[in-house]
Amino acid sequence: MSLGLDLSYLERSARGEFDLGWLRDTDTEWGVRAVPSKTGLTMRDISIGSYGVIPEHAPLRTMAPRGSDVALDVPDMGYTVNDKCEVWSDNVLDLYEEAVSRQWSATRDIPWGDLAPLDPDVEHAMCQLATVLSEVEMVAADFPAKWLWRINHDFVEAKMFLCTQVMDEARHTEVFRKRALANGGGLGKATAVIERFLQLILDAESYDEGSALMHLLGEGIVLSLFRAGAALAPSPVEQQIFRLCMQDEARHVAYGTMHLRYRLEQDPSMAADFHDYLDKGEEMIAMIFSTPEIVEPTAILAAGSVEAACELGAAAGDVLRLQIVGDYLKRCDHAGLDRRGRLHLPDAIIEGVPGAKSAVAV
Amino acid sequence: MGAMVAPFPSGPWFDELVARATADTAALERLGIAEFRFGMEVLLPDGTGQLFGLVLDGYDISAEGPVTEAAFGPDVVFSGPLDAWTEMVGWIEANGPADSAHSLNGLSIAGIPFEVRSSDAMGSDKFYRFMGTLQAVFDAAAAAVPVPARAG
Repeated sequence: MSLGLDLSYLERSARGEFDLGWLRDTDTEWGVRAVPSKTGLTMRDISIGSYGVIPEHAPLRTMAPRGSDVALDVPDMGYTVNDKCEVWSDNVLDLYEEAVSRQWSATRDIPWGDLAPLDPDVEHAMCQLATVLSEVEMVAADFPAKWLWRINHDFVEAKMFLCTQVMDEARHTEVFRKRALANGGGLGKATAVIERFLQLILDAESYDEGSALMHLLGEGIVLSLFRAGAALAPSPVEQQIFRLCMQDEARHVAYGTMHLRYRLEQDPSMAADFHDYLDKGEEMIAMIFSTPEIVEPTAILAAGSVEAACELGAAAGDVLRLQIVGDYLKRCDHAGLDRRGRLHLPDAIIEGVPGAKSAVAV
Repeated sequence: MGAMVAPFPSGPWFDELVARATADTAALERLGIAEFRFGMEVLLPDGTGQLFGLVLDGYDISAEGPVTEAAFGPDVVFSGPLDAWTEMVGWIEANGPADSAHSLNGLSIAGIPFEVRSSDAMGSDKFYRFMGTLQAVFDAAAAAVPVPARAG
């Protein structure tokens, strides 16, 4: 492949005969002066003039910055996601700024020195939960990473947000691995059921499908787990871990919810496809709800001991179950996808959730 | 930092809380930016309620109130009875930053004693997105313990 080296230009420029075409003849919007807002110069601040116009369909498949004067001979990068509605959400600029601003360090910002010895069963439960979370969090980095290089550069703000998600999930994987190894326990069991759900996300045939399964469904569930983890934390260490992870996860869910909403606003006929994606995902989630490696550690942390959890039975996990299903339905509603009446979850899981009854039998 | 001076619940109490929380601007900036209108409803024994507002705007935090829900336009209303509020606030004043059982999250996850009310999913998700900042504000009520540098 010829890279088009112009040897004669080397000679001309050495003599001071510059081309200056980029200076005199560039066809872009010139004279733009973005004004910083109170937190600094944000992505929204620079979304002005023609630079703020995001095409519904990307006219080229190049890495050229949107709004630049693109040379005619730039190579085709072969992007497969070339429509704005495939990745966009109306909150993505703000979520990117928020993500950058609210980064934290699993090494520095967790008071690791405050870890106290726990009852062995409670420590084991915390380590098992940390194992599951360390396992599932990395898929939320793998999935965006798998799609990032296929997404047209004209939608760079969405790509930038997904980059923050990759970093967030790396940190979540890190912090739960650290927690499992920091207090006399260690890693627990990894199960086939969880891996199958992760595989479903990774193998999604479209970004839409994977995003619905991951941002909306999977991360929504993990967000509830983080919230429960913060509420049940046996020490300030776990409280801080779960609280910081909760903040990150809620951004990802907010993107997924608003992406689905944008997608359906642009093309309401896509609703049938999304229902199909979520039918599959919910069936897998129903299996996760019956996985001892997730249900039992959470119940033990909620009840305080194995014995107390056994006495409470399903009630120990009721708060988490109700929140997961209730929040999921609210997000679907907000996105414009009514899942009430067609949830692919067993009655035992949707019991007590307002409006969730009359689900499809599983 | 000494004990809170203004009586709870009152506009001056929330103003004092915000003044304490925002005293260390560097610590506040480390928590990151937020855009959130947080309604705090105190249900009184006589059946009425008083609503106060907390506005997170970039790195700025301000209190408003008492306000009406319609005028304030909250993303979320965190609502609970007076005795639950005084128990939470009193615990923080006496002991320092909230533990799990006395945190905004811990006290609302089951819907009792506090309920988190929002008109749509984006409101309640904002409550989760900015939980660290909200808790840092309330932890500033602590009499003797400074707000942690990284309250998250």
